[in-house]
Amino acid sequence: MSCSLRISRKVVLASFRASIPVLLGYLAMGFAGGVLLAKETGLGAFWAFLTSSTAVSGTLQFLIVDMFCNQTALWTVAIITLSVNIRYALYGLPLVDRWRGIPIWMKLYLILTLTDETFALVVENKVPEGEDSLTYCFLISMFNHLYWITGVVSGNVAGHLVQFNAKGIDFAMTALFIVILLDQLKSRGNRFPALIGFVSALVGLLLYPSNMLIPSIMIGLVVLLAFRSKLEPLVASGGQADE
Amino acid sequence: MNNLDTTYLLAITGVVFAVNYGLRGFVFAAFGGGKRPPAVILYVGSVISPAVISMLIVYCLRGTKFLAAPYGVPELTASAVCVILHLWKRNPLLSIIVSTVVYMVLVQNLAG
Repeated sequence: MSCSLRISRKVVLASFRASIPVLLGYLAMGFAGGVLLAKETGLGAFWAFLTSSTAVSGTLQFLIVDMFCNQTALWTVAIITLSVNIRYALYGLPLVDRWRGIPIWMKLYLILTLTDETFALVVENKVPEGEDSLTYCFLISMFNHLYWITGVVSGNVAGHLVQFNAKGIDFAMTALFIVILLDQLKSRGNRFPALIGFVSALVGLLLYPSNMLIPSIMIGLVVLLAFRSKLEPLVASGGQADE
Repeated sequence: MNNLDTTYLLAITGVVFAVNYGLRGFVFAAFGGGKRPPAVILYVGSVISPAVISMLIVYCLRGTKFLAAPYGVPELTASAVCVILHLWKRNPLLSIIVSTVVYMVLVQNLAG
């Protein structure tokens, strides 16, 4: 493995071509997140840039608007982020050996930008023959990162420029979660965990209406662990499909 | 919303950044030597996502007023539109945009 980028026309084109589906998805989804940020908080492009470039997460881009508006307690922010994105903790597994010994700045950037979509493309690794695989993966990560930032910032700017009654636009976040869940439910292994989550959330809402998420997550975690012996075989046979 | 405290917003952004980065770097930091994570971590990692997404749907809809006008009609209608459209077309953006517009129209025009 080489220790620096080997940029060629061919590898730039190949990585760009591979990233085109992500380009469309990130620009559009990022745009929605940017509009939401503008309309719900009134915050401008600086915050759109800061949140999108550092969090690099679709779900959190929407949730952070809710956290900003509610001034959510920091430990709650931490637990919610952890639970929503804990799958990221597994994304390193197929990459840890591949990325051993590469320059640290490169590794830090590749890790920062490891989203669901980037992970899929990087693991697929369809680098053209004779080209450097690390360069290819790095470019894909960078392109996707830039698409996401561009989407959120332009959505934010548009949200400030275009005046309309935005009441109810926060439903976009609900819809995002419904869509993610429906895609996850295609894998049978995800169905019972989803039901556990739903019931835990109702219990959490009844017990702590003002701060339901943390108790819901705790209850859900306990129940999921209690059902481990039943659920683990289901999950192993195809529960890994991602949104 | 105009009384947002910049320092606190930065703190929230920082926590989200740190946790996301920590998660993404976890394997590289902890298992760089080729060890595998404990089975229980792999298990939790594989089942918690659908559970938490379900919780977030409930969380988003927690303010729905079922006992007073408009009796949850905007939420139920828009959610149904989102589900049906998504099962039909499986196009995330289409489902999100259409159901959000439906919700906005309803919530802006129904007395509540």
